[in-house]
Amino acid sequence: MKPVSVSNGNLLGHWRRWAPVVVLLALCILISLFNGNFLTFGNFIRLLNSAAIPIVLCMGATFIILMGSIDLSIEGVVALTAVIVSLLVINDISPYALSLWAVPIAVAVGGMMGLLNGVLHIKLKTPSFMTTLGVGFAGVGVATTILGGTTVRISDQTFRFLSLGRVLEIPMAVWIAAVAVAVAYVIQERTRLGRWLYAIGTDEMTARHAGIPIERTRILIFGIAGLFYGLGGVLAAAQFGQGHALISQGRLFTTITAVVVGGTALSGGVGSVINSVIGVFIVVVLANGLVLMGVEPYVQQGVQGLLIIAAVALALDRSRLDVVK
Amino acid sequence: MTQEQRTRLQTWLPLIVLAVLILIVGIYDPRFFSASNFLSVTADTMTLFLMASGVTLVIMMGGIDLSVQAVASMASCILAAYLQQLGFLAIPLAVLGGALAGFIGGLASTKFRIPSFIATLAVSGVVISAGNWFSQTRSVNIPGDLSATYLDWAIGEALGVPNEIWVGAAFLVIMSAVLGLTPFGRLVRGIGAQERAVIASGINVDRTKIAAFTLSGTMAGVAGVVMAARLGSGSPTLANEFLLPAIACIVVGGTAITGGVGSIWRTFVGALIVQVVRIGMTFMGVSVFAQQIVFGFILVAAVAVTMDRAKVLVIK
Amino acid sequence: MMQPVLEVRNVSKSFPGVKALDNVSFHINKGEVVGLIGENGAGKSSLLKVLNGIYQPDEGKVLVDGREIIITSPRHAFDSGIAMVFQEQSILPTLTVAENIFLGREEEFLRFGLISKSRMNAAAAEELKKVHLSTHPAMRCADLSFADRQMIEIAKALSLDSRIKTDVTILLDEPTSVLEQKEIELLFRIIGDLKQRASIVFISHRLEEVLEISDRVYVMRDGQIVQELAAKDATVKELHQHMVGRQLHHEYYREARQATPSAKTVLECVDLNRDGAFSNISFELHEGEVLGIAGVIGSGREDLARCLAGHTFPDGGNLLVNGTAVHFGAAYDATAKGVGLVPSERKVEGLVAPFSVAENMTLAALPKFVSGGIISFSAEKAVAADWVSRLKIKTPSTATSAGSLSGGNQQKVVLAKWRIAGVRVLILDHPTRGIDVGSKEDVYELVRDMTAEGLAVILLGDTLDEVIGLSNRILVMRDGEITARFEAPPGGKPTQVELVRHMV
Repeated sequence: MKPVSVSNGNLLGHWRRWAPVVVLLALCILISLFNGNFLTFGNFIRLLNSAAIPIVLCMGATFIILMGSIDLSIEGVVALTAVIVSLLVINDISPYALSLWAVPIAVAVGGMMGLLNGVLHIKLKTPSFMTTLGVGFAGVGVATTILGGTTVRISDQTFRFLSLGRVLEIPMAVWIAAVAVAVAYVIQERTRLGRWLYAIGTDEMTARHAGIPIERTRILIFGIAGLFYGLGGVLAAAQFGQGHALISQGRLFTTITAVVVGGTALSGGVGSVINSVIGVFIVVVLANGLVLMGVEPYVQQGVQGLLIIAAVALALDRSRLDVVK
Repeated sequence: MTQEQRTRLQTWLPLIVLAVLILIVGIYDPRFFSASNFLSVTADTMTLFLMASGVTLVIMMGGIDLSVQAVASMASCILAAYLQQLGFLAIPLAVLGGALAGFIGGLASTKFRIPSFIATLAVSGVVISAGNWFSQTRSVNIPGDLSATYLDWAIGEALGVPNEIWVGAAFLVIMSAVLGLTPFGRLVRGIGAQERAVIASGINVDRTKIAAFTLSGTMAGVAGVVMAARLGSGSPTLANEFLLPAIACIVVGGTAITGGVGSIWRTFVGALIVQVVRIGMTFMGVSVFAQQIVFGFILVAAVAVTMDRAKVLVIK
Repeated sequence: MMQPVLEVRNVSKSFPGVKALDNVSFHINKGEVVGLIGENGAGKSSLLKVLNGIYQPDEGKVLVDGREIIITSPRHAFDSGIAMVFQEQSILPTLTVAENIFLGREEEFLRFGLISKSRMNAAAAEELKKVHLSTHPAMRCADLSFADRQMIEIAKALSLDSRIKTDVTILLDEPTSVLEQKEIELLFRIIGDLKQRASIVFISHRLEEVLEISDRVYVMRDGQIVQELAAKDATVKELHQHMVGRQLHHEYYREARQATPSAKTVLECVDLNRDGAFSNISFELHEGEVLGIAGVIGSGREDLARCLAGHTFPDGGNLLVNGTAVHFGAAYDATAKGVGLVPSERKVEGLVAPFSVAENMTLAALPKFVSGGIISFSAEKAVAADWVSRLKIKTPSTATSAGSLSGGNQQKVVLAKWRIAGVRVLILDHPTRGIDVGSKEDVYELVRDMTAEGLAVILLGDTLDEVIGLSNRILVMRDGEITARFEAPPGGKPTQVELVRHMV
């Protein structure tokens, strides 16, 4: 029997692929109608700045979700790397003064936690949401233990330049995020690992038949994601000038919202890091808009929650009648 | 290991572990072995157990509910905010809030086909906002006289036993009866064991799932009310740090996240284990923060042991 | 004498309950096209899976160019010179044409660790030329038609040819079932070109095609090779004869008990269709009737069965139960109207393995056993015990977990479940798959019991035999449509050859 449709509603059909961009533009237009302050240069910079760290975190999260897994450890990794980097530069607790050398060290720690996620997930054969949940909690725990509940204050100005400094009027954090996006994009499009991600996320059996090393790829991707989270932690520490475990609170939620709203499918195999960048901007613009409209800040999470539900429900793939747990 | 070995392990190991742990802690500090101490430890465990009892049903069905901590906090806010005006009615109102949150989570994971961990994560965001709204982002105090009038059933004492234990025991019995004696309970087990066969037998699986999530939210609401009574206040972050232990006690008690196997009393044993481990670690000078790390790894280990890998072809 | 490019000697492969390959020996020479035909379950796909490294044979050897080899995975098969085009597409929609063709083999295009898209696309364009496809290699496969994707699937396999020095064998599993006539002719031209360099194994249920393109044809039946013929000497009729050929045992199918159905119509289809599965389905089902549906994989009969039971939804046409039009939104709508399905995958959809026999039996009718909100365990146990003895189910007790019973007894539990639920129409999808002979006979007896009580049965039989022996009437389906209808009264049964003619 000849099957019917060409590109069936199975995947993001043409109009659906552009939906996130359309949503973003619509939001921008709506908000600027409400409050002219939205369209100022100052606000624009504010938006970019708010988006910087979430974008970096989303790069890692997107890879993992493309693979069909989930990473609930983001907050734990960010907390730990923020604390570690804070203790390695000039601060009020520890004697280290590694300046910018602290950055690769902290990022590497992030990578190692990611690898831990991957190894536990693969070797113990436990679902990623469980292993990352456990490792994430452990990460926050380690971060808090190291500091014994206090906060460490950073006084290294070179380090803080990474977030607060400006080049061509644009904050360094934004430049760093841009580089992160570029790197992530290259990994996604031009490395075998990136292409294999999509294969594994779409149809693991076919990927295995083609000779793709599934286990190794999974572990490496978790590790790479950890590197991005580590970078996010470094930027967070640089931004706030302090390190403590709470620096990561709420970031998991924002990251997942952004990835989902940006159009990357939770089932894997569909989406891209660029989608997630758009998703971050949707979340950030919405938050900015709510503030400009005078809405209480605690409403943010509620709105994000509804956004996730709406985004996933709309991307609903009705032809996949798999059992959803 | 074979299925029979695994079942036996899952049934007896948690109890053995609990007994061993109690012995170890008791050796460290013999005062642990007193009756009054056991009662107070058990009473302290009850809030965790109440929260985890509803989630047990969801996990047995093969899903998960990550919103319980936020729901409990929200329930505490509702209670504290309305106790003055509504008196006893504030209690069912708070619990109803929990039920509604659970219902929305259930709806999202069935009708909208969103995986339950995302759906409940999303709901938790909405619930946190709601909790903040009810309490105006502050911690709301429950004055002593209000507490004495309306909340004594939760924190007082009867027959020498703290009321938390009576409340917990009551729900233990009720939930176990629901799980073991009602068609709903059987369907929950069936859906977790082999959902497609249950669908093919003409059951409205969506309806059962929504009911389970609603029950989970309800129990989280109850837990929030009891917590608020004990702490004398309601706040949007009251139940923070409870999510991980709640899931841990379910899994450590022997319920597999692959679904189909488990019971409420297992969760109770698991909750006791978690509590005793916490006490033990405190005795040994392990900081509260470091305890998180331990629980994180216990969680992963327990899941790895209890999972039925024959059921999951591709582990994502 | 030249040795065969690929040879299989005395290969056997078994799964619990079924022998997929039974002492199969087969060979293919360089530049030959060998056709492989047979009924469902004859073993064709299993043979290809052994050649492709997806299955490991329990006994026997595989030889490539005369050397014995153990093929561990499809990738290993590829590197050894064997490439397969799957029946279910393995093209990943979100990747481009070039990425799909070279999936897993991107190393050759690496430059400084990154994939050179230009080089990969150029190489892909070369491969696409071989299948006469002018699609741009950088296009995403999601945007291409099904037929184009099939061609790319073929190009993927053919890319083996330019990368390996040794002889190459291409395995084609039902490549034409999704293609239009024009594309089929194209495929045959490609195969013609290929013969110079490669050997080809071609599976199809369209026998005229097989004869047209092949040099030799092997016929398989029940996991064995039963005949080898030169294509130019064979006729389609001969092939039919070889494909079937088991004797019909009238006793086996309890033909004596086959009753005349009443005139009352319980179920009716009018012009039912479902995109991509079946179309123009119209028939009536009567009380006390067994309606058999015969067809190969891809005929649409499994889709139809599941649609009638509410598991999937039709795109058009009408379904009537007892004269009233119905629309099943889910399986539970169908059961509410008295239509049940005994599914082909017993372990996944038929039973809840950890549940006891009693719990499984009452699953489709739980409300009947509930009073005051609580399950009445004694009533449940009594009913279950009754059915255990009625159906002669071998189980230590009604509390034993259903997963521990043998296949035949499990199937009886499933049947009991639907009897307890009181369905009036029962659809049996491969009901005797994987169960022993004795239990099969019990199942046939049960079918007669049911029709005697006025139930109507739709039967998708495992074998043609079964369909012919059990049914009052038979529908034959091919490519989604009903191609023939037969009356099958006892003593006036159609022959297997008559049926096969409309199936392939």
